[in-house]
Amino acid sequence: MESFFLRYRNLLVLLAILLAQIIGLAVQVRRADNGRSTLDPGDAAGVRLIRLWADAVVTPPEKFFHGTKLGAESLWQDYLDLRNVRQQNKDLQKTIDRLCLEQAALLEDAKQGTRLQALMDFQQKYIYKTLAAQVIGSSGSDSSRVFYIDKGKNYGLESDMAIITADGIVGKVREVYPRTAQVLAINDQTSGAGVILESTRIRGILRGNADGRLQIVGILADQRIQPGEKVLTAGGDQIFPRGLPVGVVEKVVPDPERDSFIDVVVKPAAHLDRLDEVLVITSTEERFSNEQQQDMATSEALKGAEAAAAKEQQKASETMAERLPGLADPNAPADQQPYKAVTPPATVGATPQPLHPDRFTPGATSSPSPEPGNGTSAGKPEHPGRNP
Amino acid sequence: MAVLGADYRRDMGIRHYPLLVYALTPLVALVLQAWLPRLLLGYAWFDLPLVVTVYFALVRRDPIQGMLMGSSMGLFEDALTHHAIGVNGIAKTVAGFLAGSVGMRIDVENHAIRLMLLFLFSLLSSVLYVFVYRVLLGLELDWKWLVELMKAVGNTAIAAALFPLLDRTQIRD
Repeated sequence: MESFFLRYRNLLVLLAILLAQIIGLAVQVRRADNGRSTLDPGDAAGVRLIRLWADAVVTPPEKFFHGTKLGAESLWQDYLDLRNVRQQNKDLQKTIDRLCLEQAALLEDAKQGTRLQALMDFQQKYIYKTLAAQVIGSSGSDSSRVFYIDKGKNYGLESDMAIITADGIVGKVREVYPRTAQVLAINDQTSGAGVILESTRIRGILRGNADGRLQIVGILADQRIQPGEKVLTAGGDQIFPRGLPVGVVEKVVPDPERDSFIDVVVKPAAHLDRLDEVLVITSTEERFSNEQQQDMATSEALKGAEAAAAKEQQKASETMAERLPGLADPNAPADQQPYKAVTPPATVGATPQPLHPDRFTPGATSSPSPEPGNGTSAGKPEHPGRNP
Repeated sequence: MAVLGADYRRDMGIRHYPLLVYALTPLVALVLQAWLPRLLLGYAWFDLPLVVTVYFALVRRDPIQGMLMGSSMGLFEDALTHHAIGVNGIAKTVAGFLAGSVGMRIDVENHAIRLMLLFLFSLLSSVLYVFVYRVLLGLELDWKWLVELMKAVGNTAIAAALFPLLDRTQIRD
């Protein structure tokens, strides 16, 4: 018996290790109602513990590597490579001014929308609070598109919080550890988000495929869906707030499994392959945050200042137009007059009445001759060349 | 006789490494496997933990050590994903066991043979991964054989540089 174990020691150890792992796998997989196998969405305590250990081992070196990379980049970008920064700063300032005005213009619509939603008893939630986090690592497997961020439970993160960038949505928090969190990217095969096409208002579910590309699946074929159409979050999945950019339609392909259905391939708005910093939406409320309200007040003030400046400019133009009567063509029709709003047509052709008419006054030739006693013409011949 | 011959070669060819190399090499492989894909923008066609597993299993010529290292590395990799823990573990356990078994029987001092074996074990590991995921567990998983082939090529390319480096760290009598 002893010789049996010694002789087949390697094989027996192999079988034991494989058996243990297969049993471990069986614990993690559930049979769904439709007969398909699915992974247990919530990890068991033992599985979670293994993930926690792996995270604890890998995260510190990852943070070190990431910190070193950031330091090198910062040294280069903040101290050495500063060409054209002033020009960029000016351009950015112009963009900010323009966006502030646009925001102020949209503000009225937003307020009206909010009022209408309140009337319809529809509670719209806005991004109330976000937390910036650095991406420090990935799963290392192209079949599992998850990544790790450097904020965790200690910063108040919880599962299913939405992760976004300024460009668009990125994913959702899947697992939270004390100092890190695992984020499931939207282009993973197991990911899902409710989306809506901006102009056609067609709704669907966004998923990733094996190549890491985004697809809206299970849509009935519709000719109206064209490349370039914007895709936004629909807000029905309880994770992503409504109206966040997702991407644009890249192409429409037939569903390989179901006739009359199509898959819409979406080009993501966020750069999912090169994420460095992301925002975690830690809170959504039915009102704007204080910071947003301050921004909107600033925009409104800017809009008021801009309107006042435009009014001043218009007034100056009117004054200038009044001082330049030659710009008005008396022979031109009234509707073709420049500054027609400034100079009323009725006054263009009218002759101003002199206070003291004399012989040089237009129309004086038809008037009777001045009387002899009239001092205004004394000593001044009417036709000097004909005087004797 | 054949067994004796294998044992003889095994006794003659087992390599020893400093403890630091045993501890740090797998750790660095795991960390880099988790960190590098972010820099390579989706072109991370390699599996560093498998490369390290196969290397130590071959040069140590011990199937048990190979499968223990393979299972540890695989479980670790699984733990960093959101998939079930054990899929990579099973694939790398088998790869480590086979590498250790082959190391007992053939001359693994030849660099070309080691690279060729690594290429084959990379493909085998991918096949086992898909088999366990789709057949054993019945889960849905899209995969592309071309990517797996590229991964095997990537592993071989990395090993072409890494194996000689690791060879230099062995303890010589």
